[in-house]
Amino acid sequence: MRFPFRSKTTLRSLAALAVAGLTGLGLVACSGGSSQGSAGSATSGTINWWGWTPTNTAEANDFIAAFNKDYPNIKVNFKLIGISDYQAAMRPALASNNGPDVYDLQPGAYVQQFGSYAEDLTSSAQGALGSDWKSKLASIAVDGLTSNGKLTAMPIGSSYAGSLWYNTDLFKQYGLQPPKTLSDWKQVCQTFKSHGVGCFAQGAAQEGFDQDTLQAISNSIEPGYWTKASKGDAKWDSPQIVQTLSVWKDLFGSGIMQSGALGAQQYPDVNNAFLTGKYAMVMMGSWYTQYATQAAMTQSISAAGVAGAKPFPILPMQFPDVAGKGNTSEMFGDADYGLAVASKSQNKSAAETFVKWMSTSTKGQQVVADRLDTTPVLSGVAPDFNTIKFVDPAQQSGPVNDYLKKLVSVNEPRFALLNADVENAFLAAAQSVASGSATPQAAATTLQQAADAAKAQNK
Amino acid sequence: MTVSAQERLTRAAGYPSRPRGRRLQASGLPWILPALVLGVGLIYYCIGYTVYISTLNWDGASPDPLSVGFRNYSNIFSDPVFWKSIEHTVAFFVTTFVLQTALGVVFAVIMHSRIRLAVVYKVIIFVPVVLAPAIMAPVFRQVYAANGQFNWVLSHLGLGFLAQPWIGQTSTSLAVIIAITIWQWTGLTFVLYYAAMSQIDQSLLEAARIDGAGNIRVLWSIIWPNLRGTTLSLAILSAIGALKTFDVPWLVTVAGPSNSTQFLGTYIYQMTIQLAHVGYGAALSIILLVIALVMAIILQVAARERTGRP
Repeated sequence: MRFPFRSKTTLRSLAALAVAGLTGLGLVACSGGSSQGSAGSATSGTINWWGWTPTNTAEANDFIAAFNKDYPNIKVNFKLIGISDYQAAMRPALASNNGPDVYDLQPGAYVQQFGSYAEDLTSSAQGALGSDWKSKLASIAVDGLTSNGKLTAMPIGSSYAGSLWYNTDLFKQYGLQPPKTLSDWKQVCQTFKSHGVGCFAQGAAQEGFDQDTLQAISNSIEPGYWTKASKGDAKWDSPQIVQTLSVWKDLFGSGIMQSGALGAQQYPDVNNAFLTGKYAMVMMGSWYTQYATQAAMTQSISAAGVAGAKPFPILPMQFPDVAGKGNTSEMFGDADYGLAVASKSQNKSAAETFVKWMSTSTKGQQVVADRLDTTPVLSGVAPDFNTIKFVDPAQQSGPVNDYLKKLVSVNEPRFALLNADVENAFLAAAQSVASGSATPQAAATTLQQAADAAKAQNK
Repeated sequence: MTVSAQERLTRAAGYPSRPRGRRLQASGLPWILPALVLGVGLIYYCIGYTVYISTLNWDGASPDPLSVGFRNYSNIFSDPVFWKSIEHTVAFFVTTFVLQTALGVVFAVIMHSRIRLAVVYKVIIFVPVVLAPAIMAPVFRQVYAANGQFNWVLSHLGLGFLAQPWIGQTSTSLAVIIAITIWQWTGLTFVLYYAAMSQIDQSLLEAARIDGAGNIRVLWSIIWPNLRGTTLSLAILSAIGALKTFDVPWLVTVAGPSNSTQFLGTYIYQMTIQLAHVGYGAALSIILLVIALVMAIILQVAARERTGRP
């Protein structure tokens, strides 16, 4: 068989073409970050919003539908990306010119990793709420989304952890009261276990939830110590943290934590198990308020695979005094999520309009509040309980309202002070102690080393 | 200058008059050009770029990465998680290769024994190969959970004392990953051995039978030596597969608990994507590449020595 290219010129041309192609490939690969975006119209256009939350697309579409009543000419497309895939998806998307216009940010690691791709929204907040804008938004939410003086995202809602939720039907059925101490907790779990009912479940394979439990234990041992250590004002290898890890280990050894907790994910494993009545208690925070309602509870039980879902009432409870020191284990929290405007967006003005409406308008915040998924950040906005239907209003209305009122006074951060390396070290410490591969002291020492290394890395 | 008659004929026929070797070079280049562009552009360029990144302290996004020379490499060698992942890879390779080979040969021998419904059995054995790990992972998470079906089966067999949280403890999680992998890939091993056995000269088997060899003797002295080439190919595939392992440990156990199912692939992902240590992840990738190359070369050399080929 003969090949048609016979002359050297043709061959050289082809080789040159190949080289040019390669160079072009390289240039294309290297030129992804050159665009700086443009403003566009503030009242029209199409914007793409990417986020891991709202985890329920219908909720996001409700927000968009309410927004479109005020701004009918701005089309918002919501793309849900699972939290476990979020970092993998966002890094290349934000570095390219084809990423989202608006994206979710969470205090801590996400702000550090993706905040540099966002516009500074300080002037937008000032424009919407005036020069004293900070006083009109939940400060704990604003602080977590601010990095080096830059407001990387406008907070949409706050979330608070450090509480448990329990299935009131199961507690009533066996004549039990929510535990207040560690020994109470063990006793309650023994009773449930003797009746073949799961007591407490946690997805200990997922870092954030382990961190919540550890921080709650630490707050029972010495309130505020965890936050001091997070700020670098106290050590992670101190006796307080060693005791925290010892109590954590005790939860596994004493039968409070469910069997196989180290292999379980909080979502979907534990969430589904609790909502289908297999466990009586679960470590969840303010975002779980939504499941106190008839609609969300029914929908979630169905989503967990149960036909003919029958909702049951759930109530929040304070984390038990596991240290036995009489301390109240205070809750902690920060912005559940904020919405950032991408610097490379070609519709920055429309994107800012949407973000401002969601964060600073009463209408936007009311829609957020009424879903009970996240706590509104704009002062003066609260869920409208005339329109929200609890599973058992007589039993739930009072305690849930009290719970929501208490959240306003929470001032300890949850993720805002931590970076991904330290969070990863929490998971390693929690799992190594629970599995017995490290003592609480050894794990605490490793934790301090990780924090030191992360500090040195970020200098 | 004179031109020979032969050369004139050659030119008239449109063939170039250059020596044969040069002619092949010239006409061959355009043929390999697309592959060259793809190979150099997409693979070797990326490898080179990864080597460069491995010398940086970089989060993959910031415009001013810090050059750290070979510090990422020296840090890796003192990283206990890296050594854990190497241990897991070796244990994974040895166990999966030995068990898959044993099962593959046994299934292939049985299927060559003219049993009834052989086609049905072949399909059953091969089906796991075509199922995506992403689809099967949630199933295995449920099966091996503390209150999962595996423990249910154990308790109904009177072996309830063996029930345990298989993926929720460090002592058994790696065994679960190995079991899932064997379940998934034994079908491929079986198919390759089945095909290789079809190529064995029947007269050899008949001669062995006439000499009085029993089933075990035939299997060990006639069939197994004739499968050597397939076994070596499977060893190379298993070794590279073990080094690349990512999907099953990530989807079933998220490389845990406590790094007990950590592999190089999962660790690279954690470092690069979740923790944004892109330089460190790149250095891990280069080490993975070197290990894969060394292992492939060793197995190839071993194969040539065994077969006596140069």
